[in-house]
Amino acid sequence: MHAVEVKNLTKLFRRGIGQKPFTAVKDVSFTVAPGEVYGLIGPNGSGKSTTMKALLGLLAPTLGSCSVFGIDSQKVAARQAVGFLPENPYFYKHLTGLETMLFFGRLTGLHGEKLKKHSLDLLELAGLTDAAHRRLGGYSKGMLQRIGLAQALLHDPKLLVLDEPTAGVDPAGSRRIRDLILDCKQRGITVLVTSHLLEQIQEVCDRVGIMAQGRMVREGALQELISLEDQTELLLKDAPPSLIEDVRQLIANKYPQASVLHADKPRTTLERLFLEVTDSQTHD
Amino acid sequence: MLKARRILALAGNTITQLLRMKILFFLLVFCVLVVAAAFAFPAMSEQQQLKLLKDVSFGALQIFAVVIAIVATALLIPKDMEDRTLYTILAKPVPRIDYLLGKYFGVLAVILAGLVIMDIAFSGVLYLRQQMVLQDAVGWLQHQQQGRADAASIAALTADIHAQGLTWPLHAAVWAIFMKAAVIAALALLISTVASSTLFTIVSTFCFLIIGHGQSLFRDYFFSGGISRMDYALSALLAVVCPDLGLFDMVDPILEGHVPALRDLMMMTGLGSMYIIGYLVVSHLLFVEKEL
Repeated sequence: MHAVEVKNLTKLFRRGIGQKPFTAVKDVSFTVAPGEVYGLIGPNGSGKSTTMKALLGLLAPTLGSCSVFGIDSQKVAARQAVGFLPENPYFYKHLTGLETMLFFGRLTGLHGEKLKKHSLDLLELAGLTDAAHRRLGGYSKGMLQRIGLAQALLHDPKLLVLDEPTAGVDPAGSRRIRDLILDCKQRGITVLVTSHLLEQIQEVCDRVGIMAQGRMVREGALQELISLEDQTELLLKDAPPSLIEDVRQLIANKYPQASVLHADKPRTTLERLFLEVTDSQTHD
Repeated sequence: MLKARRILALAGNTITQLLRMKILFFLLVFCVLVVAAAFAFPAMSEQQQLKLLKDVSFGALQIFAVVIAIVATALLIPKDMEDRTLYTILAKPVPRIDYLLGKYFGVLAVILAGLVIMDIAFSGVLYLRQQMVLQDAVGWLQHQQQGRADAASIAALTADIHAQGLTWPLHAAVWAIFMKAAVIAALALLISTVASSTLFTIVSTFCFLIIGHGQSLFRDYFFSGGISRMDYALSALLAVVCPDLGLFDMVDPILEGHVPALRDLMMMTGLGSMYIIGYLVVSHLLFVEKEL
């Protein structure tokens, strides 16, 4: 059984009288296997959010269907297995961190000491223990995103739906969320994630779907989609410049159909550099 | 069991939300108003002082109940939609009817608790003032009759002042205020499920509030015959859609000393409950189809 199955999903939105309906999603199909991390990417207005809303039962498909672990997503029971982190943290600002966790926990059927303990554990996992008794109105965007993730995990969901989980979060917070996603994957939780930060999608996802103008334009295993079949990467350590020259000569002499496209020092990413520098400053 | 817990969690959150909007401040203002009304006009006659105290207190009770019923209800669902908090809630295994009931019961709990607190404060002040007035009146009677006032005239004076003071029909009037507020809140909830903004919900509900007080006139017009089809349809529509808020107007007769029959109170409660159930059912039918 698929964790997520979207079959020929089409969603039209009615507009004013006399106007043609707007097609937000057209004939989109994809599946997510249990335990897989699936990235749904695409430019603004490509239909990602509409697809996610249909999957969460917030919108009814015009045509087609969505199911979660075999249950039609329009049924409330389908959401028993789902934890959802919305794009911007949509929570009650008048509640404290712990009150927020208790409130959402009660909605999923948890209660009593078990709920309180689980809430405190998740707040600790999200690094929010010190802020547990502060109102959400005073939380930073990164903190809101982390409490969003904590509440999504409250009822031990089998499927985690993350809508732009790192939007507006600094690199350290973003890395923390990435680590949490990988942790969920290790625990066997299926993750469906949308993000504009493609590098992050690349780091965590097993499979991706690329949407544009309401359609699924590419879909498949990430490594298959991004590998360049006609190129080969060779990474050397402590190689002297003469060895590089020898390799070039060898290729030129023996394999005229092949060519060296690029030979340079590999670079770290700006994100890694930022984290190294800020970490060392923090430890100093 | 789970359903009840979920509705309670939503109602509890609504209560916290409203309380943190400083609604209790209104209760403080009410208490100051009641005490001021009780002692502000010593030159008036005893009966006038007690009547003024009741008029001011019940005016404040009615304003509190109606304003909270409309504004609080109108704020909740559209605000959750505007802030998109609704997404996070409905992405949990929460049926939409549970969400609606949780919000509604939360508002009702705040109105009921507010009315009970105000009723207790008002009753306490009224009772104290009544005792003071009685003491002064008996003293004045004894003084007039040079200490020879007979028991019958003291008993008549006491009965007269008691009738103006704290009586059980006053609590029945508070119940009528609550039922009216509950109906208005259910109507505001219904409007808020289709409204696009808080302001629209507030303005529309106030319009229905005004029309609802004249609903019996529409009904009379509807049954009078000899009217055009258009007028007939319009008056029929208003008579069906609008609650007959005149049913709950028990405060003024009670303040004037009328004692309501238990049957009338039960009838008012029953009709009010029917309106509430009807509005909640329609709210659910509209909200369950709403695309977020």
